[in-house]
Amino acid sequence: MTRQHLELSVLGPATRVTGRINGDGALRIEGAVKGDVNVRGDTEIAEGGSLEGNVQGTALDIGGNLLGDAHAEGAIAVRSSAQVRGELRAAEVSIEAGARVSIRLETAFELDFGAAGRRR
Amino acid sequence: MAENSVIGSATVVSGHVRGAGALEILGRVEGDVTVTGDVVVGPTGRVRGNISAAELTVSGQVQGNLRGSEVVLVERGARVVGDIASPRIGIAPGALVRGHVQTDGEPALAQASFVKRPAVAARVGAPQPVPAALLKAPHKAEPRRLEPARSPPASVAAEAESAPVRPVKAEPRRPPPPVVPVISKGTKAKKKKSRD
Amino acid sequence: MAGTVIGEGLTIEGDITGDEEIVINGNLRGRLTTTDAVTVGSTAIVGADITGTSLSVAGQVTGDVTASERVDIQAGGKLIGHIKAARFTIADGASFKGNVDMEV
Repeated sequence: MTRQHLELSVLGPATRVTGRINGDGALRIEGAVKGDVNVRGDTEIAEGGSLEGNVQGTALDIGGNLLGDAHAEGAIAVRSSAQVRGELRAAEVSIEAGARVSIRLETAFELDFGAAGRRR
Repeated sequence: MAENSVIGSATVVSGHVRGAGALEILGRVEGDVTVTGDVVVGPTGRVRGNISAAELTVSGQVQGNLRGSEVVLVERGARVVGDIASPRIGIAPGALVRGHVQTDGEPALAQASFVKRPAVAARVGAPQPVPAALLKAPHKAEPRRLEPARSPPASVAAEAESAPVRPVKAEPRRPPPPVVPVISKGTKAKKKKSRD
Repeated sequence: MAGTVIGEGLTIEGDITGDEEIVINGNLRGRLTTTDAVTVGSTAIVGADITGTSLSVAGQVTGDVTASERVDIQAGGKLIGHIKAARFTIADGASFKGNVDMEV
């Protein structure tokens, strides 16, 4: 299924949405959303924006407030202006120093300590 | 009178490492590291234990909790399985971290009327009763341990000293909630009578 | 063009309230209330009551619309619901089914 709708959706700073958001295309949240977001596209919570709910997207850029779980196919970037509380699940999660977080990271990987030393 | 120490890349330390000054770990440590200065775990560094420092920078691999009284930085190429706590935390793109990550204080999300999601609240906010296994551990249990199974080796056989190792920054341990009998409003105190 | 834009591929189920311009090219099922202008694009499918200063409909709207200034249904647009507005236009080629209340 091709993603035909590549238009960027923006929820402006003076907009509040209560409910579910689904679909195709990138999404930037500058206002306040209460509800789950599930889009096939890059999702951004801009500084000043907030999401209370779970969010799923191809990549996530969090510069505002997130209270909920986040799941991305690609990378999740938490900016220094962000406040995040929830579980983040992605191939890669980065956090800029200055962000305020209370999060659980569920990244899938194994440690590689090598052969030396005791086995646990 | 703090000096800089280095654990070389071909060196293995089994046991706790404590002290003042800065420490660079290029080899392997099986035990906790508690230093008042800065700690750098280089790309070849491998630590199985908790690390406590002022500034903590990790480019290697750690299985254990990271605590920095000032900052914890996890650089590209690093792998960390454990919890991270510090006023400032940076995780670079290309770093891999699995665990609970907490900057000091709860994020001030309470100004909006956020609905407390039960799963998150239970995991993050509520004080956890300390599992029995941790109480027996020689060193103080780390706060907010979400998965005791993944905890750093509490019973490191090679541990040299019996004195508990305290993290540099002692986060206040929240005691389990007191068990108080619920007394609903209007309940009158029962007069004690001898019953048989 | 500032404000809110809901792209063609997006679907919102719930309420939208705003103090800025809102453009919908996607789908909305719920309620839409703003203190500014509302534009329903040709690709939009909206099942909601809409309240704004002005409303331009080029897509499909099923619901009552209330505008403090005006409502315009463009050619190709379709509105099933009641209009409450000071002024309105229904273009040639537009569809409309409902009542109109022009507040005086």
